[in-house]
Amino acid sequence: MGDKGKTERPKTGLEAGLMVCHECHKVVGIPSDGSSADCPRCASKVHPRKPNSLMHSWALVITSLILLFPANLLPIMKVEYMGAAEYSTIMDGIIYFFKEGSYGIGIIILVASILVPVFKIIGIMMILISIHFRIDSWLEHKTLMFRFIKFIGRWSMLDIFVIALLTALVDFGFLSTIAAAPAAPFFCGVVIATMLAAEVFDTRLIWDFPNDTICHHCHMNSDKK
Amino acid sequence: MKARAVKGVRKNITVCPDCDLLLEVSPPRPGYKITCPRCGCILAAPVKDSVEKTMALSLTGLFLFPPAIFLPLLTLDILGLESTGSIYASAKAMVESGFWFTGIAVFVTSILVPFIKLLLLFLVSLQVRLGRSDASTVFMFKTYSRLDEWGMLEVYMIGILVTIIKLLHMAKIEYDMGFFCFIGLLSATLLSSSFLDENYYWNEIHIQLKKKKASKKQGTLLNKRVLKELKSGG
Repeated sequence: MGDKGKTERPKTGLEAGLMVCHECHKVVGIPSDGSSADCPRCASKVHPRKPNSLMHSWALVITSLILLFPANLLPIMKVEYMGAAEYSTIMDGIIYFFKEGSYGIGIIILVASILVPVFKIIGIMMILISIHFRIDSWLEHKTLMFRFIKFIGRWSMLDIFVIALLTALVDFGFLSTIAAAPAAPFFCGVVIATMLAAEVFDTRLIWDFPNDTICHHCHMNSDKK
Repeated sequence: MKARAVKGVRKNITVCPDCDLLLEVSPPRPGYKITCPRCGCILAAPVKDSVEKTMALSLTGLFLFPPAIFLPLLTLDILGLESTGSIYASAKAMVESGFWFTGIAVFVTSILVPFIKLLLLFLVSLQVRLGRSDASTVFMFKTYSRLDEWGMLEVYMIGILVTIIKLLHMAKIEYDMGFFCFIGLLSATLLSSSFLDENYYWNEIHIQLKKKKASKKQGTLLNKRVLKELKSGG
Protein backbone atom coordinates (compact mmCIF):
# COMPACT_ATOMS: atom_id res chain seq x y z
CA MET A 1 0.00 0.00 0.00
CA GLY A 2 1.42 3.35 -0.98
CA ASP A 3 0.81 6.02 1.59
CA LYS A 4 0.20 8.56 -1.17
CA GLY A 5 -2.97 7.10 -2.52
CA LYS A 6 -4.26 6.16 0.90
CA THR A 7 -7.36 8.12 1.68
CA GLU A 8 -8.13 8.66 5.30
CA ARG A 9 -11.01 6.51 6.31
CA PRO A 10 -12.83 6.31 9.60
CA LYS A 11 -11.57 4.07 12.36
CA THR A 12 -13.23 0.78 13.07
CA GLY A 13 -13.89 -0.86 16.40
CA LEU A 14 -11.31 -3.53 15.63
CA GLU A 15 -8.59 -0.92 15.15
CA ALA A 16 -9.52 0.79 18.38
CA GLY A 17 -9.45 -2.54 20.23
CA LEU A 18 -13.19 -2.51 20.83
CA MET A 19 -15.90 -4.98 19.97
CA VAL A 20 -19.64 -4.78 20.35
CA CYS A 21 -21.76 -7.41 22.11
CA HIS A 22 -24.08 -9.04 19.64
CA GLU A 23 -26.84 -9.55 22.16
CA CYS A 24 -27.01 -6.23 23.98
CA HIS A 25 -24.74 -3.98 21.87
CA LYS A 26 -22.46 -3.05 24.74
CA VAL A 27 -18.96 -1.99 23.76
CA VAL A 28 -16.36 -4.30 25.22
CA GLY A 29 -12.58 -4.14 24.94
CA ILE A 30 -10.94 -6.88 22.86
CA PRO A 31 -8.65 -8.95 25.12
CA SER A 32 -4.95 -8.81 24.26
CA ASP A 33 -4.95 -12.25 22.64
CA GLY A 34 -7.79 -11.18 20.36
CA SER A 35 -10.17 -13.90 21.53
CA SER A 36 -13.63 -13.65 23.01
CA ALA A 37 -14.67 -12.05 26.28
CA ASP A 38 -17.73 -12.21 28.49
CA CYS A 39 -20.11 -9.29 28.18
CA PRO A 40 -20.24 -7.48 31.54
CA ARG A 41 -23.86 -6.53 30.92
CA CYS A 42 -25.56 -9.63 29.54
CA ALA A 43 -22.95 -12.34 30.24
CA SER A 44 -22.89 -13.68 26.68
CA LYS A 45 -19.67 -14.43 24.80
CA VAL A 46 -18.52 -11.48 22.71
CA HIS A 47 -16.30 -12.05 19.70
CA PRO A 48 -14.62 -9.41 17.52
CA ARG A 49 -16.36 -11.19 14.62
CA LYS A 50 -18.83 -14.05 14.78
CA PRO A 51 -16.69 -17.20 14.73
CA ASN A 52 -16.74 -19.21 11.49
CA SER A 53 -19.50 -17.00 10.19
CA LEU A 54 -18.66 -17.49 6.50
CA MET A 55 -18.43 -21.26 6.78
CA HIS A 56 -21.75 -21.55 8.61
CA SER A 57 -23.48 -19.23 6.15
CA TRP A 58 -22.17 -21.21 3.19
CA ALA A 59 -23.29 -24.50 4.72
CA LEU A 60 -26.81 -23.21 5.36
CA VAL A 61 -27.15 -21.50 1.99
CA ILE A 62 -26.08 -24.65 0.18
CA THR A 63 -28.52 -26.67 2.28
CA SER A 64 -31.36 -24.36 1.31
CA LEU A 65 -30.30 -24.46 -2.34
CA ILE A 66 -30.51 -28.26 -2.30
CA LEU A 67 -33.88 -28.20 -0.54
CA LEU A 68 -35.20 -25.62 -2.99
CA PHE A 69 -35.50 -28.21 -5.79
CA PRO A 70 -37.79 -30.73 -4.08
CA ALA A 71 -39.71 -27.81 -2.55
CA ASN A 72 -40.59 -26.45 -5.96
CA LEU A 73 -40.76 -29.60 -8.08
CA LEU A 74 -42.77 -31.86 -5.77
CA PRO A 75 -46.46 -31.19 -5.16
CA ILE A 76 -47.12 -29.11 -2.06
CA MET A 77 -50.89 -29.48 -1.75
CA LYS A 78 -53.35 -32.33 -2.17
CA VAL A 79 -56.99 -31.54 -2.89
CA GLU A 80 -59.43 -34.43 -2.68
CA TYR A 81 -62.77 -33.85 -4.29
CA MET A 82 -65.35 -36.67 -4.36
CA GLY A 83 -62.63 -39.19 -3.68
CA ALA A 84 -60.38 -38.04 -6.52
CA ALA A 85 -57.04 -36.65 -5.36
CA GLU A 86 -55.39 -33.83 -7.21
CA TYR A 87 -51.82 -32.74 -6.45
CA SER A 88 -50.47 -29.30 -7.19
CA THR A 89 -47.03 -27.70 -6.96
CA ILE A 90 -46.44 -24.11 -5.84
CA MET A 91 -46.30 -22.97 -9.47
CA ASP A 92 -49.61 -24.72 -10.23
CA GLY A 93 -51.25 -22.74 -7.44
CA ILE A 94 -49.93 -19.47 -8.83
CA ILE A 95 -51.03 -20.30 -12.39
CA TYR A 96 -54.45 -21.20 -11.00
CA PHE A 97 -54.80 -17.76 -9.43
CA PHE A 98 -53.71 -16.02 -12.61
CA LYS A 99 -56.22 -18.04 -14.65
CA GLU A 100 -58.95 -17.21 -12.16
CA GLY A 101 -58.15 -13.55 -12.60
CA SER A 102 -57.02 -12.91 -9.01
CA TYR A 103 -53.76 -11.31 -10.10
CA GLY A 104 -53.12 -9.59 -6.76
CA ILE A 105 -53.13 -12.79 -4.74
CA GLY A 106 -51.23 -14.62 -7.48
CA ILE A 107 -48.48 -12.04 -7.32
CA ILE A 108 -48.35 -12.18 -3.51
CA ILE A 109 -47.84 -15.96 -3.58
CA LEU A 110 -45.40 -15.76 -6.49
CA VAL A 111 -43.30 -13.22 -4.59
CA ALA A 112 -43.54 -14.89 -1.18
CA SER A 113 -42.97 -18.51 -2.16
CA ILE A 114 -40.81 -18.40 -5.29
CA LEU A 115 -39.10 -15.05 -5.74
CA VAL A 116 -38.24 -14.47 -2.07
CA PRO A 117 -36.47 -17.80 -1.42
CA VAL A 118 -34.58 -17.62 -4.72
CA PHE A 119 -33.62 -13.99 -4.15
CA LYS A 120 -32.51 -14.80 -0.61
CA ILE A 121 -30.26 -17.64 -1.68
CA ILE A 122 -28.75 -15.75 -4.61
CA GLY A 123 -28.32 -12.60 -2.53
CA ILE A 124 -26.52 -14.29 0.36
CA MET A 125 -24.33 -16.21 -2.09
CA MET A 126 -23.41 -12.99 -3.90
CA ILE A 127 -22.39 -11.36 -0.63
CA LEU A 128 -20.39 -14.42 0.45
CA ILE A 129 -18.62 -14.64 -2.91
CA SER A 130 -17.83 -10.91 -2.87
CA ILE A 131 -16.23 -11.36 0.56
CA HIS A 132 -14.17 -14.29 -0.67
CA PHE A 133 -12.87 -12.29 -3.61
CA ARG A 134 -12.42 -9.24 -1.39
CA ILE A 135 -14.50 -6.95 -3.54
CA ASP A 136 -14.68 -3.66 -1.68
CA SER A 137 -17.25 -1.84 -3.78
CA TRP A 138 -21.00 -1.55 -3.30
CA LEU A 139 -20.51 -1.93 0.44
CA GLU A 140 -23.55 0.09 1.39
CA HIS A 141 -25.69 -1.67 -1.19
CA LYS A 142 -24.57 -5.07 -0.01
CA THR A 143 -25.46 -4.15 3.56
CA LEU A 144 -28.83 -2.83 2.45
CA MET A 145 -29.49 -5.97 0.44
CA PHE A 146 -28.58 -8.12 3.41
CA ARG A 147 -30.91 -6.16 5.65
CA PHE A 148 -33.67 -6.62 3.11
CA ILE A 149 -32.96 -10.36 2.91
CA LYS A 150 -33.19 -10.56 6.69
CA PHE A 151 -36.46 -8.65 6.67
CA ILE A 152 -38.21 -10.73 4.00
CA GLY A 153 -36.94 -14.06 5.31
CA ARG A 154 -39.97 -14.95 7.34
CA TRP A 155 -42.56 -14.10 4.67
CA SER A 156 -41.95 -17.31 2.76
CA MET A 157 -43.80 -19.22 5.45
CA LEU A 158 -46.98 -17.74 3.98
CA ASP A 159 -47.79 -20.69 1.74
CA ILE A 160 -47.28 -23.17 4.57
CA PHE A 161 -49.68 -21.24 6.81
CA VAL A 162 -52.26 -21.12 4.02
CA ILE A 163 -52.05 -24.88 3.51
CA ALA A 164 -52.23 -25.53 7.26
CA LEU A 165 -55.32 -23.38 7.58
CA LEU A 166 -56.92 -24.95 4.51
CA THR A 167 -56.23 -28.42 5.95
CA ALA A 168 -58.12 -27.46 9.10
CA LEU A 169 -60.94 -25.62 7.31
CA VAL A 170 -61.65 -27.78 4.29
CA ASP A 171 -62.46 -31.05 5.98
CA PHE A 172 -65.78 -32.26 4.60
CA GLY A 173 -65.08 -35.97 4.63
CA PHE A 174 -65.85 -37.56 1.29
CA LEU A 175 -66.97 -34.35 -0.37
CA SER A 176 -63.70 -32.49 -0.15
CA THR A 177 -60.51 -32.39 1.91
CA ILE A 178 -57.24 -30.53 1.57
CA ALA A 179 -53.91 -31.73 2.93
CA ALA A 180 -50.24 -30.97 2.55
CA ALA A 181 -48.13 -32.95 0.08
CA PRO A 182 -44.46 -34.06 0.11
CA ALA A 183 -42.96 -30.66 -0.78
CA ALA A 184 -44.20 -28.98 2.42
CA PRO A 185 -41.41 -30.13 4.77
CA PHE A 186 -38.78 -29.29 2.14
CA PHE A 187 -40.27 -25.86 1.74
CA CYS A 188 -40.19 -25.32 5.52
CA GLY A 189 -36.58 -26.46 5.43
CA VAL A 190 -35.74 -23.82 2.80
CA VAL A 191 -37.27 -21.06 4.92
CA ILE A 192 -35.58 -22.19 8.14
CA ALA A 193 -32.17 -22.73 6.50
CA THR A 194 -32.16 -19.33 4.76
CA MET A 195 -33.25 -17.58 7.95
CA LEU A 196 -30.44 -19.29 9.86
CA ALA A 197 -27.94 -18.46 7.10
CA ALA A 198 -28.80 -14.78 7.49
CA GLU A 199 -28.69 -15.13 11.28
CA VAL A 200 -25.16 -16.55 11.45
CA PHE A 201 -23.73 -14.16 8.87
CA ASP A 202 -21.68 -11.29 10.28
CA THR A 203 -22.37 -8.10 8.28
CA ARG A 204 -19.15 -6.55 9.54
CA LEU A 205 -17.27 -8.90 7.22
CA ILE A 206 -18.64 -6.89 4.28
CA TRP A 207 -16.90 -3.82 5.66
CA ASP A 208 -13.56 -5.40 6.50
CA PHE A 209 -11.59 -3.79 3.72
CA PRO A 210 -9.41 -6.05 1.63
CA ASN A 211 -6.36 -3.83 2.10
CA ASP A 212 -6.71 -4.14 5.84
CA THR A 213 -4.30 -6.28 7.75
CA ILE A 214 -7.12 -8.42 9.06
CA CYS A 215 -6.74 -12.16 8.74
CA HIS A 216 -9.32 -13.43 6.34
CA HIS A 217 -10.07 -16.54 8.32
CA CYS A 218 -9.89 -15.68 11.98
CA HIS A 219 -10.51 -11.93 11.59
CA MET A 220 -7.56 -11.08 13.81
CA ASN A 221 -5.67 -7.92 13.17
CA SER A 222 -2.21 -9.18 12.28
CA ASP A 223 -0.69 -5.73 12.07
CA LYS A 224 2.15 -5.88 14.57
CA LYS A 225 4.66 -3.10 14.33
CA MET B 1 -29.79 12.21 13.57
CA LYS B 2 -26.61 10.62 12.40
CA ALA B 3 -23.80 9.53 14.66
CA ARG B 4 -20.36 11.00 14.04
CA ALA B 5 -17.31 9.00 13.12
CA VAL B 6 -14.46 9.60 15.57
CA LYS B 7 -10.73 9.78 15.28
CA GLY B 8 -9.44 10.03 18.85
CA VAL B 9 -10.91 8.10 21.73
CA ARG B 10 -13.51 10.08 23.66
CA LYS B 11 -16.53 9.55 25.81
CA ASN B 12 -19.82 8.12 24.54
CA ILE B 13 -17.98 5.79 22.25
CA THR B 14 -19.93 3.07 20.56
CA VAL B 15 -19.27 0.65 17.73
CA CYS B 16 -21.74 0.01 14.94
CA PRO B 17 -22.86 -3.63 15.23
CA ASP B 18 -23.35 -3.90 11.46
CA CYS B 19 -20.19 -2.34 10.02
CA ASP B 20 -17.82 -2.00 13.01
CA LEU B 21 -17.43 1.77 12.62
CA LEU B 22 -16.20 3.57 15.71
CA LEU B 23 -18.74 6.24 16.60
CA GLU B 24 -19.43 8.99 19.05
CA VAL B 25 -23.06 9.08 20.05
CA SER B 26 -24.73 11.66 22.23
CA PRO B 27 -27.76 10.33 24.10
CA PRO B 28 -30.69 10.94 21.75
CA ARG B 29 -34.04 12.50 22.55
CA PRO B 30 -37.15 10.31 22.49
CA GLY B 31 -38.67 10.09 19.04
CA TYR B 32 -35.34 10.53 17.26
CA LYS B 33 -33.34 7.74 15.72
CA ILE B 34 -29.58 7.61 15.62
CA THR B 35 -28.22 5.86 12.56
CA CYS B 36 -24.75 4.83 11.55
CA PRO B 37 -23.43 7.33 8.97
CA ARG B 38 -21.72 4.58 6.99
CA CYS B 39 -24.16 1.68 6.76
CA GLY B 40 -27.43 3.18 8.03
CA CYS B 41 -27.82 0.74 10.90
CA ILE B 42 -30.17 2.05 13.60
CA LEU B 43 -28.02 2.50 16.70
CA ALA B 44 -30.61 3.92 19.06
CA ALA B 45 -34.29 4.67 18.80
CA PRO B 46 -35.47 5.83 22.19
CA VAL B 47 -39.17 5.71 23.00
CA LYS B 48 -40.87 7.78 25.69
CA ASP B 49 -42.22 5.63 28.54
CA SER B 50 -41.03 2.54 26.73
CA VAL B 51 -41.33 0.22 29.74
CA GLU B 52 -44.90 1.20 30.60
CA LYS B 53 -46.13 1.05 27.02
CA THR B 54 -44.43 -2.27 26.33
CA MET B 55 -45.72 -3.79 29.56
CA ALA B 56 -49.30 -2.68 28.91
CA LEU B 57 -49.28 -3.97 25.33
CA SER B 58 -47.65 -7.30 26.12
CA LEU B 59 -50.21 -7.87 28.87
CA THR B 60 -53.00 -7.06 26.40
CA GLY B 61 -51.45 -9.55 24.01
CA LEU B 62 -51.32 -12.22 26.70
CA PHE B 63 -55.03 -11.73 27.45
CA LEU B 64 -55.95 -11.94 23.76
CA PHE B 65 -53.72 -14.93 23.16
CA PRO B 66 -55.95 -17.86 24.20
CA PRO B 67 -59.07 -16.72 22.29
CA ALA B 68 -57.03 -15.72 19.23
CA ILE B 69 -55.33 -19.09 19.02
CA PHE B 70 -58.02 -21.52 20.14
CA LEU B 71 -61.30 -19.93 19.03
CA PRO B 72 -62.34 -20.56 15.42
CA LEU B 73 -61.16 -17.91 12.96
CA LEU B 74 -63.57 -18.64 10.16
CA THR B 75 -66.65 -20.73 9.50
CA LEU B 76 -66.91 -22.27 6.08
CA ASP B 77 -70.30 -23.11 4.66
CA ILE B 78 -70.45 -25.35 1.59
CA LEU B 79 -73.96 -26.43 0.63
CA GLY B 80 -75.07 -26.39 4.25
CA LEU B 81 -72.04 -28.29 5.51
CA GLU B 82 -70.18 -26.24 8.06
CA SER B 83 -66.56 -26.37 9.07
CA THR B 84 -64.44 -24.15 11.31
CA GLY B 85 -60.74 -23.73 11.83
CA SER B 86 -58.52 -22.08 14.44
CA ILE B 87 -54.78 -21.47 14.44
CA TYR B 88 -54.24 -24.30 16.88
CA ALA B 89 -56.40 -26.58 14.71
CA SER B 90 -54.30 -25.73 11.65
CA ALA B 91 -51.09 -26.85 13.34
CA LYS B 92 -52.84 -29.94 14.73
CA ALA B 93 -54.34 -30.87 11.35
CA MET B 94 -50.91 -30.61 9.77
CA VAL B 95 -49.40 -33.01 12.31
CA GLU B 96 -52.36 -35.37 12.09
CA SER B 97 -52.16 -35.59 8.31
CA GLY B 98 -48.65 -36.99 8.71
CA PHE B 99 -46.58 -33.85 8.17
CA TRP B 100 -45.18 -33.61 11.67
CA PHE B 101 -42.16 -31.48 10.70
CA THR B 102 -44.30 -28.90 8.91
CA GLY B 103 -46.89 -29.08 11.69
CA ILE B 104 -44.29 -28.44 14.36
CA ALA B 105 -42.87 -25.55 12.32
CA VAL B 106 -46.37 -24.02 12.13
CA PHE B 107 -46.91 -24.61 15.86
CA VAL B 108 -43.58 -23.08 16.83
CA THR B 109 -43.73 -20.02 14.56
CA SER B 110 -47.38 -19.12 15.04
CA ILE B 111 -48.19 -20.26 18.59
CA LEU B 112 -45.22 -21.14 20.79
CA VAL B 113 -42.76 -18.35 19.92
CA PRO B 114 -45.34 -15.53 19.85
CA PHE B 115 -46.59 -16.65 23.27
CA ILE B 116 -43.13 -16.95 24.81
CA LYS B 117 -42.18 -13.59 23.33
CA LEU B 118 -45.17 -11.83 24.90
CA LEU B 119 -44.64 -13.57 28.23
CA LEU B 120 -40.93 -12.75 28.38
CA LEU B 121 -41.52 -9.15 27.33
CA PHE B 122 -44.13 -8.72 30.05
CA LEU B 123 -41.97 -10.29 32.76
CA VAL B 124 -38.88 -8.31 31.76
CA SER B 125 -40.83 -5.04 31.62
CA LEU B 126 -42.35 -5.79 35.02
CA GLN B 127 -38.99 -6.49 36.60
CA VAL B 128 -37.40 -3.41 35.04
CA ARG B 129 -40.34 -1.25 36.14
CA LEU B 130 -40.17 -2.54 39.71
CA GLY B 131 -36.38 -2.19 39.74
CA ARG B 132 -35.92 -5.85 40.53
CA SER B 133 -33.82 -7.07 37.64
CA ASP B 134 -31.63 -10.07 38.31
CA ALA B 135 -29.80 -12.73 36.33
CA SER B 136 -33.10 -14.18 35.14
CA THR B 137 -34.07 -10.82 33.58
CA VAL B 138 -30.87 -10.85 31.55
CA PHE B 139 -31.56 -14.39 30.39
CA MET B 140 -35.20 -13.64 29.53
CA PHE B 141 -34.39 -10.49 27.59
CA LYS B 142 -31.64 -12.26 25.67
CA THR B 143 -34.04 -15.08 24.81
CA TYR B 144 -36.61 -12.54 23.68
CA SER B 145 -34.18 -10.90 21.23
CA ARG B 146 -33.09 -14.28 19.94
CA LEU B 147 -36.68 -15.42 19.32
CA ASP B 148 -37.81 -12.14 17.82
CA GLU B 149 -37.50 -13.22 14.20
CA TRP B 150 -39.20 -16.57 14.68
CA GLY B 151 -42.61 -15.32 15.70
CA MET B 152 -44.60 -14.98 12.49
CA LEU B 153 -48.06 -13.74 13.43
CA GLU B 154 -48.12 -11.07 10.72
CA VAL B 155 -47.24 -13.66 8.09
CA TYR B 156 -50.09 -15.80 9.41
CA MET B 157 -52.43 -12.80 9.08
CA ILE B 158 -51.64 -12.50 5.38
CA GLY B 159 -52.05 -16.29 5.21
CA ILE B 160 -55.58 -15.95 6.58
CA LEU B 161 -56.38 -13.31 3.97
CA VAL B 162 -55.02 -15.49 1.16
CA THR B 163 -57.08 -18.41 2.46
CA ILE B 164 -60.22 -16.27 2.48
CA ILE B 165 -59.66 -15.16 -1.10
CA LYS B 166 -58.93 -18.75 -2.12
CA LEU B 167 -62.20 -20.01 -0.67
CA LEU B 168 -64.35 -17.02 -1.49
CA HIS B 169 -65.83 -18.35 -4.70
CA MET B 170 -66.70 -21.82 -3.49
CA ALA B 171 -68.02 -21.31 0.02
CA LYS B 172 -69.78 -18.86 2.26
CA ILE B 173 -67.31 -17.52 4.83
CA GLU B 174 -68.23 -16.17 8.23
CA TYR B 175 -65.76 -14.36 10.44
CA ASP B 176 -65.71 -15.68 13.97
CA MET B 177 -64.56 -14.31 17.31
CA GLY B 178 -61.10 -15.80 16.88
CA PHE B 179 -60.51 -13.69 13.78
CA PHE B 180 -61.08 -10.41 15.62
CA CYS B 181 -59.10 -11.54 18.65
CA PHE B 182 -56.27 -12.47 16.30
CA ILE B 183 -56.25 -8.98 14.79
CA GLY B 184 -56.05 -7.60 18.35
CA LEU B 185 -53.27 -9.99 19.28
CA LEU B 186 -51.33 -9.09 16.15
CA SER B 187 -51.67 -5.35 16.81
CA ALA B 188 -50.61 -5.76 20.45
CA THR B 189 -47.59 -7.84 19.45
CA LEU B 190 -46.44 -5.48 16.70
CA LEU B 191 -46.94 -2.37 18.84
CA SER B 192 -45.25 -3.89 21.89
CA SER B 193 -42.11 -4.64 19.91
CA SER B 194 -42.14 -1.24 18.22
CA PHE B 195 -42.36 0.52 21.61
CA LEU B 196 -39.51 -1.57 22.96
CA ASP B 197 -36.36 0.50 23.50
CA GLU B 198 -33.72 -2.19 23.81
CA ASN B 199 -30.88 0.16 24.71
CA TYR B 200 -32.87 1.63 27.58
CA TYR B 201 -33.84 -1.83 28.84
CA TRP B 202 -30.27 -3.09 28.79
CA ASN B 203 -28.95 0.03 30.53
CA GLU B 204 -31.66 -0.13 33.16
CA ILE B 205 -31.08 -3.86 33.79
CA HIS B 206 -27.34 -3.24 34.10
CA ILE B 207 -27.81 -0.38 36.57
CA GLN B 208 -30.23 -2.42 38.68
CA LEU B 209 -27.90 -5.41 38.73
CA LYS B 210 -25.00 -3.19 39.84
CA LYS B 211 -27.10 -1.68 42.61
CA LYS B 212 -28.08 -5.13 43.80
CA LYS B 213 -24.46 -6.26 43.91
CA ALA B 214 -23.46 -3.12 45.78
CA SER B 215 -26.23 -3.55 48.34
CA LYS B 216 -25.29 -7.20 48.83
CA LYS B 217 -21.68 -6.20 49.53
CA GLN B 218 -22.84 -3.58 51.98
CA GLY B 219 -25.01 -6.19 53.63
CA THR B 220 -22.12 -8.60 54.13
CA LEU B 221 -19.88 -5.81 55.37
CA LEU B 222 -22.52 -4.80 57.89
CA ASN B 223 -22.93 -8.39 59.02
CA LYS B 224 -19.19 -8.70 59.55
CA ARG B 225 -19.10 -5.52 61.54
CA VAL B 226 -22.00 -6.67 63.69
CA LEU B 227 -20.31 -10.03 64.23
CA LYS B 228 -17.06 -8.32 65.22
CA GLU B 229 -18.84 -6.05 67.62
CA LEU B 230 -20.67 -8.98 69.12
CA LYS B 231 -17.42 -10.90 69.51
CA SER B 232 -15.53 -8.00 71.04
CA GLY B 233 -18.49 -7.19 73.20
CA GLY B 234 -18.92 -10.78 74.33
